[in-house]
Amino acid sequence: MASFARPSLLRQALATSRSPLLRQNVGVSQVVAFHASARKQILPPEPQSIQGTMNDPVPVPAPHPVEGSYHWTFESAKKCVFRAVCVGLIPLSIAPFAAGSLNPVMDAILCSLLVAHSHIGFQAAIIDYFRPQRVPKFNALCNWLLRAFTLTTAVGLYEFETNDVGITEALRRIWNA
Amino acid sequence: MASLRTTSRLFAASRPLFRPASFARSYATVEAKSIDPAASENPSMKTFKVYRWNPDTPSEKPTMQSYQLDLNKTGPMMLDALIRIKNEIDPTLTFRRSCREGICGSCAMNIDGVNTLACLCRIPTDTAQESRIYPLPHTYVVKDLIPDLTLFYKQYKSIKPYLQRDTPTADGLENRQSPEDRKKLDGLYECILCACCSTSCPSYWWNSEEYLGPAILLQSYRWLVDSRDEKTAERKAALDNSMSVYRCHTILNCTRTCPKGLNPGRAIAETKKMLAA
Amino acid sequence: MFSQKVAQQSLRRLAVQQPLTMQWSMMRASPAAVALGQSMQKRPVTSSPNTEDPAQILVKQRLNRPVSPHLTIYRPQIGWIGSSLHRITGVALSGTLYLWATAYLASPALGWHLESASMVAAMGALPVAAKVLIKATMALPFTYHSMNGLRHLMWDLGRGLSNPTIIKSGWTVVGLSVTSALALAFL
Repeated sequence: MASFARPSLLRQALATSRSPLLRQNVGVSQVVAFHASARKQILPPEPQSIQGTMNDPVPVPAPHPVEGSYHWTFESAKKCVFRAVCVGLIPLSIAPFAAGSLNPVMDAILCSLLVAHSHIGFQAAIIDYFRPQRVPKFNALCNWLLRAFTLTTAVGLYEFETNDVGITEALRRIWNA
Repeated sequence: MASLRTTSRLFAASRPLFRPASFARSYATVEAKSIDPAASENPSMKTFKVYRWNPDTPSEKPTMQSYQLDLNKTGPMMLDALIRIKNEIDPTLTFRRSCREGICGSCAMNIDGVNTLACLCRIPTDTAQESRIYPLPHTYVVKDLIPDLTLFYKQYKSIKPYLQRDTPTADGLENRQSPEDRKKLDGLYECILCACCSTSCPSYWWNSEEYLGPAILLQSYRWLVDSRDEKTAERKAALDNSMSVYRCHTILNCTRTCPKGLNPGRAIAETKKMLAA
Repeated sequence: MFSQKVAQQSLRRLAVQQPLTMQWSMMRASPAAVALGQSMQKRPVTSSPNTEDPAQILVKQRLNRPVSPHLTIYRPQIGWIGSSLHRITGVALSGTLYLWATAYLASPALGWHLESASMVAAMGALPVAAKVLIKATMALPFTYHSMNGLRHLMWDLGRGLSNPTIIKSGWTVVGLSVTSALALAFL
C-alpha cells in the first residue's frame, strides 16, 4: 500500500477532491483499494452458489464411521501410544550415555507408528485443502500419490532397519557426530 | 450512556412536545456538553476504516474507507460509531443491527481482527490507533458489512434443531427433566447464532460447504445431550462422517471469539467423545 | 427536466410549422371533448413483462459477490497461529521422513549415499556452528509438534478447553519446545 506512507494532510486533500458527492466531508478522508488476499491464490474460493432454496436444509452425508468416529478413536489411541513411545525414546536415542542400540522391536513399533501417523496427517491435510467435493480428480491424485509414498517410505524404513543400524541409532550417531 | 438515558426519561414529560429538528439526536450521538464542557474544544478524533463493497458496481473491487469521529460525541460501543457514521457522515454505509444489546446477533462483524458483536464491543479509547471493521471473515459479501448467511442457516436446519420424540409424556402435559439434566444445557442454549465462531474457524473457511462449523455443532450438541430427545442415535449417525464434525482440528478460535462467552470448542470435543463411545 | 424541455420544444415547433394541426389537436384534448368521449387516452409505451425467474436474479447477484478477507486480517492469536504451526511442522517432519526414506530406497539405483555411515561422516565434517544450527532446525519442529500434540491429546479427552487455559498452555508449549530444542541442539 503506497498510500499508507503518505502524509495525512495530503490524504485529506486527495479525499476532498475525490469525493464531490459527499456534501459533508468531515469524516471521510480516504478510500483505499483493498488488497487483503494474495495476488496469486492457490485455490481461490468459487463464486457463491447455493443448492436448493434457502428453506431447504443442506444434505446430510451418509454415515461413514470408518472415516468418522472409528478414525478419530484410532487416531487418539494411536496418539497415546505414539507419545508414550516418543517420550520413552527421546532420552534413549539422544542421550550420549545410552550404551548400545535400541531394542529392534521398539524401533519397529516407532517406525510403523511414524508411518501411520504421517499417512493420517497427510490425509487430513489433503482433505482440508483439496476436498473431493471441490476438486475430485486432484483429490484422488493426491491420495494415490500419498499411498505410493507411504508404501515406499515403509519399505525404505524396513530396508534401513534391516540393512543399516536402525532409525534411533542412526539419529543418535548423527547427533553425536 | 445509561445514566444519561434514564435522566432523559425522567425529564421527558417536562419537555415541549414539538422540538425543533436541530435538537433531535440519534441514540448513537452523545451531546458533548452533557458529558464534559471542554469536550467540544479538544475533540479526540479516532479513525475508523470500514470495508466497503457495493453490489450495484460489482466490477469494482472492495475498498477500505476511513471515517473520523469525535469519540467525545460518540456512544461507547462500536455500533454507536457505525450508526453515527451512517447518520452523520455517509448514509450509504450498510450494516445489520437490531437490538444493540447482544441478543439478536445481527451486528456480528470482524472488528480489529476479531469477530464480535459491534454492540458488545467497546471502542478502544486509544485515538492514535485506527479501528478496522470488516464483515465476518470468508463470507460472501452482500454489501459493505453484510455477509450472506444462507448456507449457515441451511446447515442449522440440517441438524434438525428441535425436540424429537415418539413416546408421549408420562403425565400428558410436559416433558420433564431433572435439574442435573437441565444443567447440561447451560452454556449451550444461550447461543444466538451470530456466526462469529463459525466464521472465525479456519477449517470452516476452507470447507464451509461440508463442515458444519462450531456454531451449528454447538447447537447439534445441545440436542445430543438433551435428556428429553429420543433421536440421539440418528443425530449421531448424521454426524459420523469425515466432513461434518471431523474437519474440526481444535484450533479453538471459536471459543476465543464467542461474544457470549460460550465454548463451542468444548461442545465439539464432547460430541467427538460421544461419537467414539 | 430534459424530457420536459424536449416536449416543450417540439410543441413549439409544431405550433409554428403547422398551426392548423395544433389547433385541431388542442380541440380534441379540450375538457368538452374528453367529456363527450371523443378523445381516447393512448399510452404508446407498454411496460415490458418481466419473464425472468425472480429466483435467478439472486443467483446472478451471488456470482458477483466477493469473499470477505480472512487469514490476512484476523488478529494473530496464539490459538490459531500455534495450530497452523502444528500443521506446518507436522508436514515438514513427515515430509522429510517420506523424502528421506524414499530416497534411501532408491539410492542403490541412483548411486546416492544415504546410509548412516556416510550421513554421520557428512555431519562430522561440518563446523560446530553449522552442527548446532542443523540440530536446532531439526529439533525445534519435532519438540513443538510433540508437545503441542500432548495439548491436543488433552483436548481430545475434553480437558483444558477453557479460554485462559488455552492461551496459557499455548505459550507454555512455545516456551518448552524452544528451550528443549536449544538443549537438544547443544547436546
